[in-house]
Amino acid sequence: MEKVIEISDLTKIYPNSRGIRNINLDIHAGEIFGFLGPNGAGKTTAMKIMTGLIKPDHGDVKIFGRSVTEEYEQAMAEVGCLIEIAQAYPFLTAYENLKQQARYYPDVDSRRIDEVLELTGILKYKDEKPKKFSLGMKQRLGLAAAMLSRPKVLILDEPFNGLDVEGMIEIRKLILHLAKNEQTTFFISSHLIHDVELTCNRIGIIFDGRLLSVDTTQNILNNYPTLEDYFVSEVERYGRISSSSGQ
Amino acid sequence: MAVFRAALVNELEKLWKKRKVLLAVVLSFAVIVIGQLLIVGIRSGWGIRGTGSLEFPILVLTVVNNTILPLFAALLAIDCFSGEFSNNTARFLLTRPVSRFKIFTAKVAAIAVFIAVNLVLLLLLSSVAGFLFNANSASLISYIKTILTYVASFFPLFVIALGIILLANTLKSGTSVFFASVLLFLVLRGIGFVFPQFAGILPTGLLDWHHLWLANTLPLAKITRGFLLLLGYAIIFFTAGYYFFEQKEF
Repeated sequence: MEKVIEISDLTKIYPNSRGIRNINLDIHAGEIFGFLGPNGAGKTTAMKIMTGLIKPDHGDVKIFGRSVTEEYEQAMAEVGCLIEIAQAYPFLTAYENLKQQARYYPDVDSRRIDEVLELTGILKYKDEKPKKFSLGMKQRLGLAAAMLSRPKVLILDEPFNGLDVEGMIEIRKLILHLAKNEQTTFFISSHLIHDVELTCNRIGIIFDGRLLSVDTTQNILNNYPTLEDYFVSEVERYGRISSSSGQ
Repeated sequence: MAVFRAALVNELEKLWKKRKVLLAVVLSFAVIVIGQLLIVGIRSGWGIRGTGSLEFPILVLTVVNNTILPLFAALLAIDCFSGEFSNNTARFLLTRPVSRFKIFTAKVAAIAVFIAVNLVLLLLLSSVAGFLFNANSASLISYIKTILTYVASFFPLFVIALGIILLANTLKSGTSVFFASVLLFLVLRGIGFVFPQFAGILPTGLLDWHHLWLANTLPLAKITRGFLLLLGYAIIFFTAGYYFFEQKEF
């Protein structure tokens, strides 16, 4: 299978000694990869580096063979992303916000903007300004912006944040639909184990800035009753290793 | 080029949708109206001529060039940079297939366009007011000189805007950028006043560069020196501003 994202030796340490260390990972076409870890584990840091918002201390991320640090425009050409809570321009309407994004893609027209607003369930609010939106609606607008260009890769950081149950189910269905029918590759971070289990077909556990393990959801559930049990087991194993090595 | 054009259109749209731009235009218009009322008052009250039709636009330019226009440039720079950094909308912009250099350049270009548009509006309105209320003989040559003076006044204002953009990329909040800009402006003006021998090389001293274009015989050497100084400041401020923008983490 074609390698879509290649993360090699990715390291970023903040002044408070937190961050990520030596992350190596390959994501293949059509995968829905779940990046699972507790708050502060380094998920957002890794995703911010993947989308060029911060620079790594060393290591690199390549998307379709293009380096994010060296060839940003080319690397991001087929990527849509949502990092943390989506903050759209509060003085522009939902439609105008998406129009701003659409200008970077020649084949995205007004019809496509309406289509993604419909897909995310906020078409009726297209002429309203997001400053009046609830967190869930802002998140839906962020997802609409991420999907706007029909990207081949979607990098979504906590996409279920702020969504109600109905919204979570809708977005989950949408992700599964895009992966199955359009071969879209997903890189999704979440601390919501249940949602990751239901959505992703390959899972990586990140803890304390380190990637502890990567396996398919099917393998994991063959060996453990739930994803939660697997997560706890991996974290405990890491705890034993790090305490025995004096880290 | 298509990507840069898209970034520029986006920046122009964002600036247009903000009320501050309208406020600057209204304030400039108010200066013209108040200035004209004062001239008419002086003329009818004391019998002093005040200004002629072509002197009025220059008088307006001299007033706004040291007050409203640098303030307007500061507000635009703060909105374009600090505003987007603090409310995290920069992430919405930076995660698209467009390089930071193109985004930075598009923002700078959008600010330049709005300064230029404001100057054109000022020229048109003050010329109309000048011709309506202070009608006297005006030659085509002197009107061309007035236009040239307005064109020349764009460059120092743009350099001031680039300086504020540099501040916006180094200081954390928009408020601190605003106060630092005002303070620096006053300090540099003060230095120029206390040490007039250095006024000509300070960016604030160069705000009066357009006066050189009014002389009967153009002082080409002085104009060239001023232009080269402005160019030097522009290159330094743009490069340093971009460096800090490129290093920023969101």
